[in-house]
Amino acid sequence: MIRGGRSYVSTSPAFSNDAKRLLVCTGSTVSIFSTLTGLQVASLDGHTALVTSVIVVPASSPGSRILCYCWTSSLDGTICYWDFSVPEMIKKIDVHLPIFSMVIPTLLKTPADSERSSDLYAYISAQNINKSERPKPLIGQLRKFNLTKSFIGGITLKETQRPEIITVCPSGRFFGILSKNKLIIWKVPDKESDQAILKKIVLHHTKKFSVLAFHPSQRLVAAGDVTGRILIWRGFGNKTFGKPMKYDEDNPGVRGDDDAESCSTWHWHPTDINVISFSSDGAYLYSGGTEGVLVVWQLDTGKKKFLPRIGSPLLYFVDSPDPTLASISCADNQILLLKMPYLGIMKSISGIKLPFYAPEAFKVMCAGYAFDRAGVVALRTEDFHIQIYSLLNDREISEVVVCERNHQPADEITVVVTLVTLSQDGSVMSTVEVRLPEEDIGGLTCLKFWTSTSQNNQFELSTVIYEPHRDSHVSSVAFRPNRPMAVTTSESCDFKLWVCNDGTHRKNELKPSSGWVCYAVGSYKRRPLTAAAFSGDGSVLAVAADTAITLWDPDRNELVGVLGNTLGPIKALSFIGQSEYIVAASGGPKSQLSVWNMSQFTISWSYMLQVEAVASDQNSSTFAVLALLPKSVIQSKETTFVGRDGIILLFDVKQPQPVASWSVTKAEGGGLAFVEANQLEDDISPGTRKHGLLAFINGQHEYVLFDPFNDQELVEHSVLVRKSPAAEETVYAGYASLYGELPEFDWKKNQKAASEVVIMPSERPWETIFSGSSHTLPPLTKLCGAFLEALLQKRPAAVEKS
Amino acid sequence: MEETFVSKTFPLKPKLKPTSKTSSKTPESRYWSSFKTHETPNLISSVPSITFSGVAPHPFAAAYSASLSLFSPQTLERTHTINSFRDVVSSASFRCDGSLIAASDLSGLIQVFDVKTRTPLRKLRSHTRPVRFVKYPFLDKLHLLSGGDDGIVKYWDVAGENVILDLKGHKDYVRCGDCSPVSSDSFVTGSYDHAVKLWDVRVGDGNRAVMELNHGNPIEDVLFLPSGGLVASAGGNSVKVWDLIGGGKLLYSMESHNKTVTSICIGRIGKEIGDEWMQYRILSVGLDGYMKVFDYANLKVTHSMRYPAPLLSVAFSPDSKVRVIGTSNGIIYAGKRKVKEGAEESSAVGGFLGLGSFSEQPKSRALRPSFYRYFHRGQSVKPSKGDFLVMQAKKVKLAEHDKFLKKFRHREALVSALGKNNPENVVAVVEELVARRKLLKCISNLDLEELGQLLMFLHKYCTVPRHSALLMGLVKKVIDMRAEDIRNSDKLKGLIRNVKSTVQEEILIQQGLQEIQGIISPLLKMAGRR
Repeated sequence: MIRGGRSYVSTSPAFSNDAKRLLVCTGSTVSIFSTLTGLQVASLDGHTALVTSVIVVPASSPGSRILCYCWTSSLDGTICYWDFSVPEMIKKIDVHLPIFSMVIPTLLKTPADSERSSDLYAYISAQNINKSERPKPLIGQLRKFNLTKSFIGGITLKETQRPEIITVCPSGRFFGILSKNKLIIWKVPDKESDQAILKKIVLHHTKKFSVLAFHPSQRLVAAGDVTGRILIWRGFGNKTFGKPMKYDEDNPGVRGDDDAESCSTWHWHPTDINVISFSSDGAYLYSGGTEGVLVVWQLDTGKKKFLPRIGSPLLYFVDSPDPTLASISCADNQILLLKMPYLGIMKSISGIKLPFYAPEAFKVMCAGYAFDRAGVVALRTEDFHIQIYSLLNDREISEVVVCERNHQPADEITVVVTLVTLSQDGSVMSTVEVRLPEEDIGGLTCLKFWTSTSQNNQFELSTVIYEPHRDSHVSSVAFRPNRPMAVTTSESCDFKLWVCNDGTHRKNELKPSSGWVCYAVGSYKRRPLTAAAFSGDGSVLAVAADTAITLWDPDRNELVGVLGNTLGPIKALSFIGQSEYIVAASGGPKSQLSVWNMSQFTISWSYMLQVEAVASDQNSSTFAVLALLPKSVIQSKETTFVGRDGIILLFDVKQPQPVASWSVTKAEGGGLAFVEANQLEDDISPGTRKHGLLAFINGQHEYVLFDPFNDQELVEHSVLVRKSPAAEETVYAGYASLYGELPEFDWKKNQKAASEVVIMPSERPWETIFSGSSHTLPPLTKLCGAFLEALLQKRPAAVEKS
Repeated sequence: MEETFVSKTFPLKPKLKPTSKTSSKTPESRYWSSFKTHETPNLISSVPSITFSGVAPHPFAAAYSASLSLFSPQTLERTHTINSFRDVVSSASFRCDGSLIAASDLSGLIQVFDVKTRTPLRKLRSHTRPVRFVKYPFLDKLHLLSGGDDGIVKYWDVAGENVILDLKGHKDYVRCGDCSPVSSDSFVTGSYDHAVKLWDVRVGDGNRAVMELNHGNPIEDVLFLPSGGLVASAGGNSVKVWDLIGGGKLLYSMESHNKTVTSICIGRIGKEIGDEWMQYRILSVGLDGYMKVFDYANLKVTHSMRYPAPLLSVAFSPDSKVRVIGTSNGIIYAGKRKVKEGAEESSAVGGFLGLGSFSEQPKSRALRPSFYRYFHRGQSVKPSKGDFLVMQAKKVKLAEHDKFLKKFRHREALVSALGKNNPENVVAVVEELVARRKLLKCISNLDLEELGQLLMFLHKYCTVPRHSALLMGLVKKVIDMRAEDIRNSDKLKGLIRNVKSTVQEEILIQQGLQEIQGIISPLLKMAGRR
């Protein structure tokens, strides 16, 4: 079983101390990526719920940079301590409360700052599970936690309506949270103990805050609000936290009695701010928001520099210990690694694209995913791309720009790629994009065909067809197996067959004239056509005409037969493998799953099910259905379906009883497909495999691949991390890139080594005997004898071995 | 290592146009359309005759109204005009050495001018009716051939101003004639009695032609093809090619003109090097405004070009660099072909070397850092096959409207696109504005002058089928939203009136098309049943 498609951007990532690795929280695991290759190298498995924060133990001295320890907190109520170079778990502490955020300020303090107390304290933002009497329950709690002795400190610092995210000062002296339009800052006591009292101040604003950051060295805090303003308080907490230096009453910009010297406002962002971060030297402030532009402010002058067109809302900005590297997490599940002083995008780590929320007008037109048999899924993204994602490797293969338009993340969505279909071998793709009209003018539907040039799945545009069905939308596209033919259906009562006139290489012309042209047009009783499918061998075309299924001969464009009526308009059609059955899923108030016998033109059996997706196996007579559970079942709190809203049913076409069933979460907007598992041969038992794997992708684009005939249960815990084939490579910079790594110079050791260069007995002396620089080698006469001797002795053994 | 990825900017692109499969140009049609047309407008009336001088640099003369103009082949501008005519000039012809030109007019007078001084040297009076053609025989400096509405073809002794022969074979107006390129004694004439007659001055009997060919239509032009054995005649809608040596056999009749063919001439595909390229073609022009290129070796029309007026005369320069076409409304379309200097030089050098004298190669001086070219060295070097190319990322070219759109200045973007003369871009900007939900706001923000610009654009393009779905909607919105402004401005009212008339025209066209569809669809249905 393979799981994947997790979000990389649920919380902010963390760099390792040498900045060569990036720790990213991915669901219940922490994935470790190499910053040089952008590929995953390891993962930390041990939590059972979403990991909410990861804190790398900083290196206190340059020598300890290679140390790889980190703390993680999770919603399952545990805090873990890891050595992520191995990777293995060192310690697991149970807090018994779901932790939403955790900071450990003591780690950040330099040893000179204060002599370390024996215990390590963390401040956690947790959810209080057992308190719900009050009308407005304050379920969020901010508490102190002794990591060494693993028990919760006596005091609760603050109770909030929701668990808040804690932000800590890079020097470890302050931490704070946002609470609507208030900013609450605590000072970490110099001498930590269980009962130490924390002083706090509150800063006010008129708008709701969205993000907060502390200056690394000065007493300066910056916060962004939902209207795009950045507020910067200088000298906060002078009164409360000590340092009573000057007491002029004139505090420009500071609201009310707030304890700060001055407050200034910067306003450039048109939308809410998600990212605020100071550079490590404190000279610059980075900010970013929904509009996808990273702004670099010079802190003293307020001058701006931009990194525009990131294309997606920014979520987190993380500086690394290496001053030339930083990372941005974008809302489209992508982490960009920036080359720092000049803001160049060096590498991108992209996960599966997250679903986007199209306006209502598009909802009816959009249809999910396109799978090909080799385990590749094509997903539509918000910025008019198609992401080709490999399910087996859990990695993006490529992205195709469908519509060459500049995407503005903050704008209203008016152009959407509504349909994507892959041909069975994955060599041809078709996309449909729709531009909504502005008060009835300027709407456009555009059908595009793409061909893959080679094995690397780089798609190139082959044909563009504007308004394939006049002004009505395309309701479905299907490819014919084994032949370059496609069918599009529309609500305007006609379907069109398209053929690719490929292969007609004209002489005298260098490039073949390939393109898709309309081959035939058909319609059935002026009914809107909603779905289409080709049979497995491509000889029959089934087109759903509202409630009826019409069967056509695609070559001659003749109506062969009509199968009777379903209860509602048909949403999806699928031929079942080699059998003579066809399955139809209809929507409407009386949604139905019906199986039809094509030879007898009768309904075989049917269920009243709200079907989300249908997939059939090519080589057998089984098919799988993803159905939404009815409301009554979800509310009945039956134990089997707690927290689940969908069910996958596996049927054999001969009998209406399902062969197997699995309940799933977030089934709405999900997809289902059978995938051939040839690539998985190495880690699956060599037993003869007849069926493919079943791939299920849920509404959040998390997916799972499993063998529907062996693993009878979707076990939650087993997580398979596929080792990336490309190992981490080391790249040297500066001097090292020219001359290689300098050897550690150790005088004593060298002395010793020089004296110790004697013939060392080893398994294969002829390999090592001449190694080393020539001046350290013993005289040749001495060596030669040993060398020959070694050869004479070892040769027979070597022969035996081979 | 993998190339770092950069966030991209996409410039606005107009919708793709469908391309037909056959539109790829053959090398020949590329050759014929490589003549860059230069218009000489405002001549007083039609241009019945154009003729080229036989000597380099091949100036040409065009007759129009009661004057004859000489044109330079380099600039295609008028250099001199001869005005000493009393009636409309009908025809002109250069002598083979290019120093004299003979011109006839409708009063029946033929005059011979010195090309340099433009003084009339001889006046040949004998025709009683308008003269329609005059021609110097090939390589004959002493005689002249003429024909006119009196039906008589005259062979003149120019020096003595007297007629040597009166050839009285034609029964109707003689309209044209040509002299054989291989013999100075034989020539053909064409007349409105549908007959092409081949004459020989050595035949004593002046009234009997050597050969007579029946074209079937009144003949407008007749021509000897360069071999001398073939004759082409133009009349009615057809151009016919005859074989004289084969006894006057009709070889082919080219009938791709829709109206009367008025003039034909010999064109040459001349690339400087290569044998197969030295081929001759017949250029024909007609009242339908088309110029067609006819390959009489393969009997195929190889190129066709349309001009916006009925065409009366065509001529092609002997060095195949200039093509001149005269129309009935006083415009001369002179086309000149760019000849690559390099090709000329190389052929010259080739000739030079061919003489056998071993000339020293011009030494290319070594580039020094003090030279200007030093800093541009190597920029035009083509990569050889094994070279590894380091590609530079292509810079995205942004038009003005793209820059405005990038800054979210939507109205400026629309106005800037309207200002440029490219309707596709305007439509692309409008579509982008629709996608950004800003079009209506943009329209309401336009000031009166910009609104006028928009209405002018809509008047021109709102009925173009490619864009009409979008633009007709836009017209409605503009009228709805800006009704008040339009009512207050007379200029805008006029523009709206224009838009209305185009829309009405389009409606009429659509009705006509629907009627045709109504006629055709039953026929198609019947055909489909079979």
